[in-house]
Amino acid sequence: MNDDLQRLQAAALAEIQRADSKIELENLRVKYLGKAGAVSRLSENMRNVPKEDRPRIGKLLNEIRNAVTVALDSRLEALAAEGEAQNLSGVDETLPGTPFRAGGMHPLTLLQDQAVQIMRRLGFALADGPDIETEWHCFDALNTPANHPARNDSDTFYLPDGRLLRTHTSTVQIRTMVANEPPVRVIGPGASYRRDETDATHLNQFNQLEGLYVDRNVSVADLKGTLEYFVRELLGQEVETRLRPHFFPFTEPSFELDIRLPGIQEGKWMELLGCGMVHPAVFEAVNARRGDNAYDPEHWTGFAFGMGLERLAMSLFALPDIRLLIENDQRFLAQFAT
Amino acid sequence: MKLSLNWLKEFLAVRHSIAEIVEALTFAGVEVEGVEQRGAELDKVIVAQVDAFEPHPNADRLIVCRINDGSGLPRQIVCGAKNFRAGDKVALALPGAVLPGGVKIKASKLRGIESEGMLCSPRELNLADDAAGLLILPGDAPIGGPLSDIFSPDTIVEVEVTPNRPDLLSHFGIARELAALLDLPAPKLPQIVAGPERSCEDPSSVRLEAPEGCPFYSARLIRGIRVGPSPGWLREKLEAAGLRSINNVVDVTNYVLLELGQPLHAFDVAKIRGGIVVRRANPAEKLLALDGKDYELGLEDVVIADHERALAIGGVMGGEQSGVSATTTDMLLEAAYFNPGFIRRTSRRLGLISDSSFRFERGVDPQAVLFASARATDLLLEVAGGKADESIVIAGSVPDLTGLVEMRPERCTKILGMEVPDSARLLIRLGLKHAGENRWEVPSYRQDLIREEDLIEEVCRMAGIQKIPSRVFGIPTRKSAADRVHDDLMQLRQRLVGLGLFEARSLALVDERSLDFLIEPRPDTLRLRNPLVEDQRILRPSLIPGLIKAAERNFNRGLNSVAIFEIGRVFRVAAAEELLCLSVLLSGERQSKSWNQDAAAFDLFDLKGILKTALRKELVLTRAQATSFAPLVCNVTDGDGQILGRMGQVRPGLAKEIGARGAILVAELTLRMGGTPKTLRYKALDRFPAVTRDVAFFADRELKYQAVLDAFTSAQEPLLADVRLFDLFVDPTGQKVPANKKSMACSLTYRASNRTLTQEEANAAHSRLKSQLVERLGVTLRE
Repeated sequence: MNDDLQRLQAAALAEIQRADSKIELENLRVKYLGKAGAVSRLSENMRNVPKEDRPRIGKLLNEIRNAVTVALDSRLEALAAEGEAQNLSGVDETLPGTPFRAGGMHPLTLLQDQAVQIMRRLGFALADGPDIETEWHCFDALNTPANHPARNDSDTFYLPDGRLLRTHTSTVQIRTMVANEPPVRVIGPGASYRRDETDATHLNQFNQLEGLYVDRNVSVADLKGTLEYFVRELLGQEVETRLRPHFFPFTEPSFELDIRLPGIQEGKWMELLGCGMVHPAVFEAVNARRGDNAYDPEHWTGFAFGMGLERLAMSLFALPDIRLLIENDQRFLAQFAT
Repeated sequence: MKLSLNWLKEFLAVRHSIAEIVEALTFAGVEVEGVEQRGAELDKVIVAQVDAFEPHPNADRLIVCRINDGSGLPRQIVCGAKNFRAGDKVALALPGAVLPGGVKIKASKLRGIESEGMLCSPRELNLADDAAGLLILPGDAPIGGPLSDIFSPDTIVEVEVTPNRPDLLSHFGIARELAALLDLPAPKLPQIVAGPERSCEDPSSVRLEAPEGCPFYSARLIRGIRVGPSPGWLREKLEAAGLRSINNVVDVTNYVLLELGQPLHAFDVAKIRGGIVVRRANPAEKLLALDGKDYELGLEDVVIADHERALAIGGVMGGEQSGVSATTTDMLLEAAYFNPGFIRRTSRRLGLISDSSFRFERGVDPQAVLFASARATDLLLEVAGGKADESIVIAGSVPDLTGLVEMRPERCTKILGMEVPDSARLLIRLGLKHAGENRWEVPSYRQDLIREEDLIEEVCRMAGIQKIPSRVFGIPTRKSAADRVHDDLMQLRQRLVGLGLFEARSLALVDERSLDFLIEPRPDTLRLRNPLVEDQRILRPSLIPGLIKAAERNFNRGLNSVAIFEIGRVFRVAAAEELLCLSVLLSGERQSKSWNQDAAAFDLFDLKGILKTALRKELVLTRAQATSFAPLVCNVTDGDGQILGRMGQVRPGLAKEIGARGAILVAELTLRMGGTPKTLRYKALDRFPAVTRDVAFFADRELKYQAVLDAFTSAQEPLLADVRLFDLFVDPTGQKVPANKKSMACSLTYRASNRTLTQEEANAAHSRLKSQLVERLGVTLRE
């Protein structure tokens, strides 16, 4: 009996191991464990077993039943895993991915945001002002003579009520100082308007980034250091810079900052921005409007700068025509989708 | 302005290279726009005379010339120009010459006729732009002599002078500046030979009635002049500086303008009736100016008149009828100082800018007026003969524009961030005089130096900006309201981009047609008083017109799908006239056909979904009055009932017109950015499983989904956690669903926060909601 049992178990396990389908395994389950199966039949045979052998044989039978069940289950699992693997092996991983729409920000937004983030690292906060401005904010307060050509109808857009579309974001300097006591450190990105014919290099609307820093003891040295840092962070460490004297009514001394970058505009010097030390007359105009002497030019000095983004974008991205920036051709925009 | 290096060297012993000069000018604030060589490399180009010429036998346009080149043997040249006569002296390029453009000259046959060289136009020799005919040389040019003796090699530097530096608008002025910058001896003014012995006032010959516009006027009488062509040296210099030679008298006045920066004018005495009167123009007084145009003047203009009529627009332009002509024998040389403001106003109003007005409106040196007059007189006597009066008639007084300005060295250090120990020496080099303490006397030609900062700038320029150390600082700054707006907007852009949209940027000035593309009526638009072009008159009341145009452009260029947004300001007549808006335009494929998905076109619900996702807001749409632009328009409010804007679908006809293949959906929402950010706080996660039950029903076709939602909400079922519409079906044929009905199916989620729901609880809640639906909306449940 003992040997019979051993043989049965070995045969069952071998058969299970050989089986390679679910149905075969089910048949084996019936064959061995079913009501009429081999193990069951042996169990029924117990009554013929001598009484003293029954517990031992019973235990053996149980062990066989368990072993067969475990073998069946694990073979079944193995078969399922094999089947899954087989299914997945048929996947063609070279099929194209599902096409999702990809969008992108406007290159000017990206450039503007980069510039903003750099200046923030130096401790500049953002400031804002309206596009529609008064002549006082745009010209008077910025020390522009009453008969300055920039005020002409031919150069500046006016509304019927005498207000105008700001010709530079320097108006943000004035608004910031009128509303806040020194020290101030602000940048103001925004639209500016000039009454220019539209062509490949001109738009009548462009984006400027204005900067203003007023504190005790701000000097040309700060202006230089700040702008050099700004330009290197924005355009890379290999950029060369130079300050060149220039003239603006609202700064004294006034400069233009030129940059030179390998591979950009044939490596020639190119004008990037205008800057200078805030003219005392600007402080005086602000004080007059505030009705105090908060910006006493004897105690406070400051620098300001203004940079046009379109021209920079044109040079950096080698744009042949400035109007690409307002046409909103998706193929163009997609090139800058970073 | 074009500067001749040869001319500058008359004043300046400058040994620096042209590159050094350009750098000095650049760092002085004078922008150098270009440098070009002139008259150089004219090897083998000589003076020759045309003895005779005849038509080319084989070509209508060509002429065969017999040329005297000084060798004694006649030379035959074929040329195409017609602007010369026999006897004229011309420039001959001999075989072997290389012209400035790189053209190599060789003897050749032109249409069968031998040509031994080439006769040149001014442009071919890089002397002037004129390419229409041959360069005709002065009669006294020596035949056979090298052309470079007449046109000596020169370097022309084109500079742009900032408006605050009128003193640099002349060769002498630039020389003076360069001497200061390069630390060279100050240039000397030319010697005066025939200076007036005395000046006198004589109201009968010069009467000054408008001293506010013209504070000082002088007139020198020169008799017996002969008007004619200018000598070579004079022509050459004018042409080098970009001016055309007219006649010897006019050329001298222009020469002095370019040399000293003082505009002058020459009157024909024979045409002056009575004497000169400097007065305001009469209302509507007319004058035919030298440019051949009639100008209507007014009380605000200063004219130079005689006792009967206006002769010239003071400081701006002479009159056609009183100027020097070929027959003039006696002339009056005007040298005056005009008030910048007057000249600027007149020049702007008339739209007339001359070399004279350009300088007067920026401010000439009043101290130099009489010197310029004497210098011009000397030159006139030299080139036109005649005799100058011993006295010069003057009227008014030379304004004293010298000023005293203080500059404290410590202030200079503070502004520059660097100490400049020799600042006094630098100011002296610029012609300032130390007037004790920290005070400086500014010369009359530097009217731009008014206050301390102006002098500090001079020190900075002279000391060299590159010497100033760079200093960087970093100071913590609090976030401003504008910072929050910027950050919110960048985040919004990121989300929209993530949803597959491109950011557009359009101009704020739009045309009248744009008003047809408004989703929300904006009757009060802001308009410019002085538009440059008619189609940019209106300040955009909406971003949608710009997006429509962008879409049209994309369609025209062959793209089928457009998904763009713009964030920008719109303008309207209101208390808050500038509004920050977001507009979105969708058209074409939301999803393109691929092996694993079908194509799907954008519809209104894509737009609604994109906006909901990007704005992180529930959006409630309510139907608004259809417009001709958008027959389907909805007002958009957020979950709190706040109005955000509108969205809708563009009229299909219009969509087709602009090239769309299907529907165009647009939205425009007002953005309220920079508010307090949402506080982030942990909320316990649901611990107990939810139970979902579906309900399907037939409802009237007109029933809105919102009514279904409202019905569920009104039941105030505490266990209801979520409602999701998962099926909507209509059948116009009425086969599956009656034609006037629609089938809707919702999946309802039930959940309790403190226990696992039993089936019975969920079923009870579900039946309550179902009966609510039937009671309130009269729908038929599909069981």
